[in-house]
Amino acid sequence: MGFLKVLKKMKQKEKEMRILMLGLDNAGKTTILKRFNGEPIDTISPTLGFNIKTLEHRNFKLNMWDVGGQKSLRSYWRNYFECTDGLIWVVDSADKRRLEDCRSELHVLLKEERLIGATLLVFANKQDLPGSCTAEEIKEILELDKIQTHHWNIIWCSAVSGDNLLKGIDWLVDDIASRIFTKD
Amino acid sequence: MSVVREKHDLQSNKILSSVEKSKAITPEDVLRLTKITETYLCDPDANIYDIDFTRFKIRDLESGAVLFEIAKPVPENVDENVEKNAETEEPLDPNSGRFVRYQFTPQFLKLKTVGATVEFTVGSRPVNRFRMIERHFFRDKLLKTFDFEFGFCIPYSKNTCEHIYEFPTLAPDLVKEMIAAPFETRSDSFYFVDDRLIMHNKADYAYNGGVYRLTFYGE
Repeated sequence: MGFLKVLKKMKQKEKEMRILMLGLDNAGKTTILKRFNGEPIDTISPTLGFNIKTLEHRNFKLNMWDVGGQKSLRSYWRNYFECTDGLIWVVDSADKRRLEDCRSELHVLLKEERLIGATLLVFANKQDLPGSCTAEEIKEILELDKIQTHHWNIIWCSAVSGDNLLKGIDWLVDDIASRIFTKD
Repeated sequence: MSVVREKHDLQSNKILSSVEKSKAITPEDVLRLTKITETYLCDPDANIYDIDFTRFKIRDLESGAVLFEIAKPVPENVDENVEKNAETEEPLDPNSGRFVRYQFTPQFLKLKTVGATVEFTVGSRPVNRFRMIERHFFRDKLLKTFDFEFGFCIPYSKNTCEHIYEFPTLAPDLVKEMIAAPFETRSDSFYFVDDRLIMHNKADYAYNGGVYRLTFYGE
């Protein structure tokens, strides 16, 4: 317990959070990251590695990692689990054909020992597209109610319009802060 | 006999490798530095991972403006350059590409929040614990230290990292001095894999320019 306590205290001092953003390819992870940081989103190509942003948000230092979601890259995701405080799972709510795939990949992740301590935020992205599933529908298909190992929440959003991104990130930051930075 | 000899060889190997290890520059070594280094602390060929910086960008978060952006030419252009070099028989400077000169206007020192992006590619080998330490000095005064661990990099990957940060508040007298002394603001960028130095780049900065501009060494 001693070591954990020291770790907690170190993080407390710097108020640093490590947030890992994953999901299938073309879910909109990079677009979310760029939109959230006020960057243009007109020239985004598939991520063949990672994109990192370090930023200050509400006096927290957020280290956000967006790792490419193509099938060939998913076996490398585990290299980014260490010390993750928050996991953002991004879903293309309009890509109904791949929602089963999306569910199984998510539930594999949730079994990972190194992600046990992470808060889970599911972004039901692409709500601006006609025919996209609602957050409620995504919750059913991804069987989120089965999750008992992690604090979790699902929030609809549109990376293109920016709608609800802040709401999601703020929920995540609040949940992590209440777990990590409270005095024991 | 042969077993004994093998043991002996093993031991001398161990000693050799520990000597080699002690020669490698570590993060602790560079964090202790109190000024800019006079030389590069590793050879260009220490970069056995083929890590290649392909883009630098700085933007102002207040206005959203990109203050500058420089990208390496795409491979077709590189081929052309190689041919040109061969024709003119220019000797290749092994240190070219390790040094960048930035020329900014005085307004640059008044920015509040900036985002600095690097983009890099990785060769065929996976990279473990990739870490960057950047030290900015004006003369012998340390202005800022960046210390960031990228961690693992996927073979053949293209990666980006943007640090969004508050510009350090500098005393007005210091700002005046920095504007009056072009290129005496300098930085060392050290890159480590598994705590061993594999790349070392340098830059210097002037803040007395009329426009945002930067030039590469040898231009």
